[in-house]
Amino acid sequence: MTNSLFTRSVLALLVGAPLFSACKDDNEDPKPDADNEQITTVTYTLTPQGGGTPVSIQYRDPDGDGGTAGTITPATLTLAPNTTYTGTLKLEDETKTPAENITAEILAESDEHVFVFAPTGVNLTITATDKDRNNLPIGLASQAVTGAANATGTTGNLKITLRHQPGTKDGTATPGDTDVEVTFPTAVR
Amino acid sequence: MLFRVPGAPAAAWRWLVVLFLLGAGLPTWAQPVCTLTVSGRVADHESRAALPGATIVVLETQQATQSDLDGHYHLQLCAGVYHVQVSFVGYAPETAELRLTSSAVRDFRLHPDAVLLRGAVVRGERMAAPTTQTTATLSGQELQQTRGQALGEALQRVSGVTAIQTGPGIFKPMIHGLHSNRVTILNNEVRQEGQQWGVEHGPEIDPFIASRLTVVKGAASVRYGSDAIGGVVLVEPKPLRDSAGIGGELNLVGMSNNGLGAVSGTLEGNLRKLPALSWRAQGTFRKAGTMRAPGYYLKNSGFAEHNAAASVGWRKDTYGIEVFYSQFNSRIGILPAAHAGNQSDLLLAVGRKRPLETTGFSYAIDRAYQQVRHDIGKLTGFVRTGNAGRLQLTLSQQLDFRDEYDKSRPRNDNRAAAGRPELSYTNRTTIGELLWEHKPWHQFTGSIGLTGTYQANRYADGSRQFIPFYTNQIAGAFVIEKWQQGRWLLEGGLRLDYRDLAVRRGDRDSTGVFFVERSRFRYATPAASLGATFDPTTHLTLSLTTGLTRRAPAANERFSDGVHNGMYELGNDLVPGNAPLTPETALNVGLTATWHNNPRFNGELTLYQNRIAGFIYQVPLLPLVQTIRGAHISWQYLQTDATFRGLDLSSSYQLAPQWLLGLKGSMVRTRDTRADEWQILMPADRAEATVRYDWPDTRTASRFHSRYVQLGGVAIARQTRVPNNYEARDLLLPPAGYGLLNLEMGSTLRWGSHPLQISVAGANLLSQRYRDYLNRYRYFTDEMGRNVTLRLRFTF
Repeated sequence: MTNSLFTRSVLALLVGAPLFSACKDDNEDPKPDADNEQITTVTYTLTPQGGGTPVSIQYRDPDGDGGTAGTITPATLTLAPNTTYTGTLKLEDETKTPAENITAEILAESDEHVFVFAPTGVNLTITATDKDRNNLPIGLASQAVTGAANATGTTGNLKITLRHQPGTKDGTATPGDTDVEVTFPTAVR
Repeated sequence: MLFRVPGAPAAAWRWLVVLFLLGAGLPTWAQPVCTLTVSGRVADHESRAALPGATIVVLETQQATQSDLDGHYHLQLCAGVYHVQVSFVGYAPETAELRLTSSAVRDFRLHPDAVLLRGAVVRGERMAAPTTQTTATLSGQELQQTRGQALGEALQRVSGVTAIQTGPGIFKPMIHGLHSNRVTILNNEVRQEGQQWGVEHGPEIDPFIASRLTVVKGAASVRYGSDAIGGVVLVEPKPLRDSAGIGGELNLVGMSNNGLGAVSGTLEGNLRKLPALSWRAQGTFRKAGTMRAPGYYLKNSGFAEHNAAASVGWRKDTYGIEVFYSQFNSRIGILPAAHAGNQSDLLLAVGRKRPLETTGFSYAIDRAYQQVRHDIGKLTGFVRTGNAGRLQLTLSQQLDFRDEYDKSRPRNDNRAAAGRPELSYTNRTTIGELLWEHKPWHQFTGSIGLTGTYQANRYADGSRQFIPFYTNQIAGAFVIEKWQQGRWLLEGGLRLDYRDLAVRRGDRDSTGVFFVERSRFRYATPAASLGATFDPTTHLTLSLTTGLTRRAPAANERFSDGVHNGMYELGNDLVPGNAPLTPETALNVGLTATWHNNPRFNGELTLYQNRIAGFIYQVPLLPLVQTIRGAHISWQYLQTDATFRGLDLSSSYQLAPQWLLGLKGSMVRTRDTRADEWQILMPADRAEATVRYDWPDTRTASRFHSRYVQLGGVAIARQTRVPNNYEARDLLLPPAGYGLLNLEMGSTLRWGSHPLQISVAGANLLSQRYRDYLNRYRYFTDEMGRNVTLRLRFTF
């Protein structure tokens, strides 16, 4: 008798145990990762010095890492030969509503950040024109000087890298980590 | 049970025997031909270990003898019918009838008797029940030789067990080429549940709690559930103390290479006034600094661990109850090179002779690191009733917290100051198991079990999604029966699991709008096993096992998505164009031959084949996945059919009285039968040889005894059996084979009346540069150079 009673109570415990563990929270849905910073959008705008229509190129990955890959619009950044441009970079996090302005954050912590411009296969020289409080370049503002046009049918690249260098910024790209690395197809024609 | 005659009530046989003795037995005694020998071996029924010094008495003639060191005995008798009684302290005496017409061999396997085990004798009950399954154990000195190592590292001593490694701190056990979701780890009888899916997540277990590590090689899904397709690791603490008093042990370990220091202490007691009440407390600290590869230090390779466990038990002969709680905490540094954020850095870092960034020695752990905590609470009780058998209930609750910090701190200073991890997971698992071991019936023993699991996996608000929210509910029932007679043991089992996996996955559509996708997967997965063990001679045991298991895919295999520890991983169901995963079906066969209790040669050879239809595996994803930070080392889950064939060998040969030669080896061949090519990321062939000299223990009053010295070599071949066109499918070809030289010596000395074990072990003595195919750091760095380990163990 006691045995079957024991068995029954044990069975009840066994079946019931998982229920004790099931919390109310278990039915909650995941929330957007509001506190986790992302950069989804990088826009580089170049305005010819001495007038003309600004050109810009944008890398945009609104769903963040993974999923749909980021897209670049337009497909190629096309610059006029032998022209000097004023460049501005704009960075946003569009996973937040409203979109978070990362440019302002970088400016606020400009002594920890540096943009590195690396053109390849294109006659283009870019130099940062803004300085942080230690008189080291930042790169949110820049000057781009183009040379001769690309050979017909060829397109080069412009790689823009944002290096995060808390406490180690020395004007070179080496210290720290990469926060952004985008490569824009670029041509001078 | 007194008479090993199937299907006949004992009492009737007793009468028959008496009649026979009166009628036929007595006359033969009158004209004795007393040259017949009866010999055999006395062993533990469960472990089959020899019982030296057992008493063997012929009841009719009162002739008596004792078993020798190997458990063997010899008697000379006349032809006739006798009753032989075998007894040994701690075991139920056994009487058997012998009908002698010629010389005979008769073995005895005694059952441990808990009632007789009061006092200092270790309770034999905990011994693993005999099984047809291939098992290997690490205990005693062999386990002592692994102290200070992580669990997965220690288990590599078992042939057929390797580890997927992520640097010096993370070892994921791999049995016969299978790991993670296919190897079940039982931590003090609780199935370890946490973020065990991750290849770079070591088991959250302190191996110091174990007095024995057992590996079940091959599927044990009937008993342990469908996650045991590859095998089972049992981390088994000693049973609680059952003699009055207080005792304990202290372990100290120091390593030269990475400055590892480990302290682990155990204190246990049993109350004189309440002999049923026993307790134990245990704690471990383990801390390591920067690891040294030959020629350089590996940046951020330290780790720190602190663990504690306690248990209290109340035990009577017919019932008992035990409460156990343990907590595991560890912080493990991740190599910055392995965490490279962008393609150019990554490609620069891969395949270099030495990493770009090296460092000096330090105990500091910087970003990137993992911070893990695992709590287990367990309540277990049993009742033994005369007519029903033994009923055992185990309830456990586990909490696993895993935080992963990226190498780069948040760009925003406010967020950086908050110091929150980029990934933060919580896994909560409740498991209940009811096990009924029925009373032996004729030659049958067996058990029936019911289990239930509730598991909730979440990540903290604001941390990055990598594994979605999921709730896993499992209900299972199994039955295992054994039939044992003479030289045969047959074992068969059936199990049915019902799994309900409910997933809530947050994602963004291509325009960046957040949504939650709910999905649910319900499967009934059966498992079946059949095995046989046969002892052709007293020194050879053959066993054959077969098993069928179905395993439902886990949430990570379907839905991992994102970057963690600098690597991008993608679940199968999210790979564009892939069909959703279906359950795996594994069919495995294993044949093991064991030569045991021989004076010179002993060993074990296992041959196996495991055919897994719908095998789920991870492959490097190329081209590398690009995020705004650049490219990451990327992995994705895919499904195929695979056949594993392999062999494990472990043997020893007594060269001379004090000289022992040991030889171990394992190989596995894995084909992807769907693509008709070799399977990726399988262990390379390995062989290990040791020569050991044990000093004879003299009776003189030397303070040192059990002195030994052991020289060993390990050789691991290059893995050449890899998928076709491998250059295009991984970032780096498998590394070259390597050989390592190890030396160890040790002794036990008396400290007052207590033994103090000391050993010094040198690993990779020649400081060989090498890389291992199964180490995820192999892209970036060499393995550990020379390492000298000092171990002290004091018991009181």
